[in-house]
Amino acid sequence: MNNATELHAHLLNEGDWIAATEVCQLCRIELTTVVELADLGIVTPRGYAPDDWQFPATELSRLRTAGRLMRDLGLNVSGAALAVELLEAQHHLERRLRRLERLVHEEGAQGLSQ
Amino acid sequence: MEYRDYYKILGVERTATADDIKKSYRRLARKYHPDVSKEKDAEARFKEVQEAYEVLKDPEKRAAYDQLGSNWKSGEQFRPPPDWASGFEFRGGPRQRRASSGEEVFEDEQFSDFFSSLFGGGGAGGAGPFAGAGARRSRAGRDHHARIEIDLDEAFGGTTRTLELKRPQLKDDGTLELKPHTVKVTIPSGVTEGQLIRLAGQGEPGPNGGRAGDLYLEVHIRPHRLFQLDGRDVTLTLPIAPWEAALGGPVKVPTLAGPVEMNIPAGAQSGQKLRLRGRGLPGQTPGDEYVLLKVVVPRANSPDARALYEEMRQKLAFDPRAELFG
Repeated sequence: MNNATELHAHLLNEGDWIAATEVCQLCRIELTTVVELADLGIVTPRGYAPDDWQFPATELSRLRTAGRLMRDLGLNVSGAALAVELLEAQHHLERRLRRLERLVHEEGAQGLSQ
Repeated sequence: MEYRDYYKILGVERTATADDIKKSYRRLARKYHPDVSKEKDAEARFKEVQEAYEVLKDPEKRAAYDQLGSNWKSGEQFRPPPDWASGFEFRGGPRQRRASSGEEVFEDEQFSDFFSSLFGGGGAGGAGPFAGAGARRSRAGRDHHARIEIDLDEAFGGTTRTLELKRPQLKDDGTLELKPHTVKVTIPSGVTEGQLIRLAGQGEPGPNGGRAGDLYLEVHIRPHRLFQLDGRDVTLTLPIAPWEAALGGPVKVPTLAGPVEMNIPAGAQSGQKLRLRGRGLPGQTPGDEYVLLKVVVPRANSPDARALYEEMRQKLAFDPRAELFG
């Protein structure tokens, strides 16, 4: 590994705004699709015309998921938007479930050990 | 390399119609798509299905693949005959590059060596044994995407990863070969779930002198033994003794940066949440640590313990169910 090239990684975080053209390239979706997803509330761009829109980097993950679902599963924009929201809700509930399961498990273990 | 039976992967007969193939692909893609699937090895299965569909949906590629014959078995050692696809004209697959580092990193749409040996990897204007006659003009290379898994502690403190990437390079005879390339990536502290890391110039090389694309790593954070992550905030369940809850006082609390002392307010209850500001993941707005209190009651398993509980029963006018009966 001595000859490994060292790379500088740039973290795209909440302070970064990404131009619409770059978003399309990154998420491999058309601008018209991005506009539709914005209309559906999946992303919240700033700027006036779609060509000039900018997106918070934190929303890239949603757009990329929507793009993947459309490409891979043949979903339309509304279907992908719905799926993204449901997946996020599912992940949120799974996190809560894990937290509660852990509490129950700990209480059970504590009861057994006494 | 090993032969891949694309018909078997899609679960269709060799005589299947284009419609059957599409239906089967849709069904399997839905089942194994990494964004929605809970199946074991979903990622690997999905890539197989995608690769099989890439070939069987395209009449030219399918015809060329069929020309190999039906006697091959999945996993059998394979080398394509030199003239196996003569007479066919099709572009290679859209995927040109692979990233791998053990089980940690994979790239979107990574196809097998078997696929590459048959269909090359030439995109628009690209090269390879089956690349189309695209215009040879300079353009920027495409971006590539990979996924990387790290621990919460690494997300907090930053980490490094050594990735082995494979890049297509044009050989003298005009064919493409994948050359391994090792890079060491420093991942800054404060990365969160699903966040993207950009590695400038590490994507697809720009054909004919164009700018190389970038490599994006999508970060996923493994579940932690103590902390649950939500955005930049973390939650910790903190067991406390009844007297600590009743009387309050300082207790030692784990944080991502190491233990700190926190003051429990007198009269604290199970389920109460306390906040340690700025003790979550770092960032422009650092996350907080939420401490979820859980009162743990010791058992009355000794004469002294029993005596203490009896004394409490007699001396404390306490009815935890008072509100239930008005």
